[in-house]
Amino acid sequence: MKTFFSAALIHVLYLTVGFLFLLPLWWALASSVRPLNDIFKYVSPFSLAALIPDKITFEAYRSIFFDRGFGIAVFNSLFVALATVLAGLGVNSLAGFAFAVLRFPGRNALFGITVLTFLVPFEAISIPLYTVVRSLGWLDTYLALIVPGVANGIVIFLFRQFFSQVPRELVDAARIDGASWLTIFVRIYLPLSKPVIVSAALLIFLFQWEAFLWPLISTRSEGLKVIQVALAGFEERYRTLWNELFAAATVAALIPLLILLPLQRFYVQGVTAGGFKS
Amino acid sequence: MKSRSEALVAYLMLVPAFLALAIFRFYPIAVTCWGSLCTESFVVAGKQIFVGFANYLDLFQDPIFWKSVWVTIKLNVVINPLQVCLALLLAVMANQRFRGIGFYRLLFFVPIGVSLPIACIVWRIMLDPNSGLIDSILAVAKIPAQPFLINQDQALWCIVAIATWKGASFWMIFLWAGLQDVPREVQEAAKIDGASQVQRFLRITLPLIKRPLLFVLVTDTAVNFLLFVPMFLLTRGGPSYSTNVLMYEAYKTGFVYGEMGKALAIVMVLLALVMVAVVAQFRLFQREQS
Repeated sequence: MKTFFSAALIHVLYLTVGFLFLLPLWWALASSVRPLNDIFKYVSPFSLAALIPDKITFEAYRSIFFDRGFGIAVFNSLFVALATVLAGLGVNSLAGFAFAVLRFPGRNALFGITVLTFLVPFEAISIPLYTVVRSLGWLDTYLALIVPGVANGIVIFLFRQFFSQVPRELVDAARIDGASWLTIFVRIYLPLSKPVIVSAALLIFLFQWEAFLWPLISTRSEGLKVIQVALAGFEERYRTLWNELFAAATVAALIPLLILLPLQRFYVQGVTAGGFKS
Repeated sequence: MKSRSEALVAYLMLVPAFLALAIFRFYPIAVTCWGSLCTESFVVAGKQIFVGFANYLDLFQDPIFWKSVWVTIKLNVVINPLQVCLALLLAVMANQRFRGIGFYRLLFFVPIGVSLPIACIVWRIMLDPNSGLIDSILAVAKIPAQPFLINQDQALWCIVAIATWKGASFWMIFLWAGLQDVPREVQEAAKIDGASQVQRFLRITLPLIKRPLLFVLVTDTAVNFLLFVPMFLLTRGGPSYSTNVLMYEAYKTGFVYGEMGKALAIVMVLLALVMVAVVAQFRLFQREQS
């Protein structure tokens, strides 16, 4: 009897926390499929009908994609995020390999500098970065959105930690066989590092998917709007079209979740193995 | 000879990353330092004129600047310990094993997919004092309607709540990962269902996840000192500057008023604050160690 109650108590606790986490997204989803006039109908006074839609319509989704051009923003964000992931995996894993496996003068100093860069987030340097990108002639192009996000101190750090756990004997044996460092990297290290690749890819993807301040100041044209900026602009312009706003928010949240959840297992493994074993 | 070629390969492998870091990180940081000592010429567009510490002196005489420093510190003193503690609690919860845990883990992951701008927009509608969901849920519990974001005593704490809703879940992943490295037997002993077990958790498990804990604390601190999105989307720094953090003040000064030098000086002050906070955190963890 006692264990039954403590088990029930545990479920109540977990459900409460889970409810708090789900509430905003659930409400956005429920409101997005309601007719516009019904959205606040059950909110005040509050009834459970506020969270469970009775009449379901997908009009809001049709409208954001066909009338408001929201599809372009979704495409832009996906394109920018995926391009950054591809380039970022290449650049950062190479650097991580060099730091973890190779011996060269200045290794510790250079690694220290790399780690320091993640104490200075994008927001802090966005003002001078604007000047840099302007002088490269990249303002208002995809390059401005993609290239500055490619090299990433945290990701280099993750790769380095992961690679330094690969047994040294593997490398020595391959060296005796005459394999080049690049071959060792591609043939031995990369196949072993699926978890860290997945977690690095997700970190870069989320970083770009959530980017707001930098795209806001580095691009102007409608055709280059990324999803977060489009949403904020949408909120300003069509503030009372709640159902469409909620539909846009739901789309923007579901895409990364659909990518993240199946990879959840890998993600946690990657962060574990990559980050913190001594 | 062999080690020289090894070094050469290493440098070649580092070139792409360091070239990018140099252009998009180190150079902008250097420009921030230098630009904070300059002002833009009125005569020749884009020309920088060195003015020494004038921007800083200007700032130090500006009461709005000091108010922003205070708001930034107030926010961070609360939000960083709060997020790290909640993230740790969530990680411990996610790390339990029982029937149905997979479903709960799924729920715990939801905020990670919801970006901060979206979280802000949805929470704003839920916190609306006229027809907001939260006020009407409070009404069920006979609690009077609250002004939330439009009240200068509540706005900052609403932002803390929204950012924590998102942050606790994100940082949970790193701590959960750390917990998975703690041997299972140790964790069994550290389950959170009794006072003595809490004790054991503090004495045994916690020291074992010190590295991810420090990593999360430091990175989270750097992120929160530069928190910008909620102020930009929800409050515009108001009401009466009660949410006017330094990063938002820097954005306004630079991009709305066009005073780049002064904006960069604010960023420098901000980075100095981050460094002080981070060094303090490292010290704290080191002292714990000995």
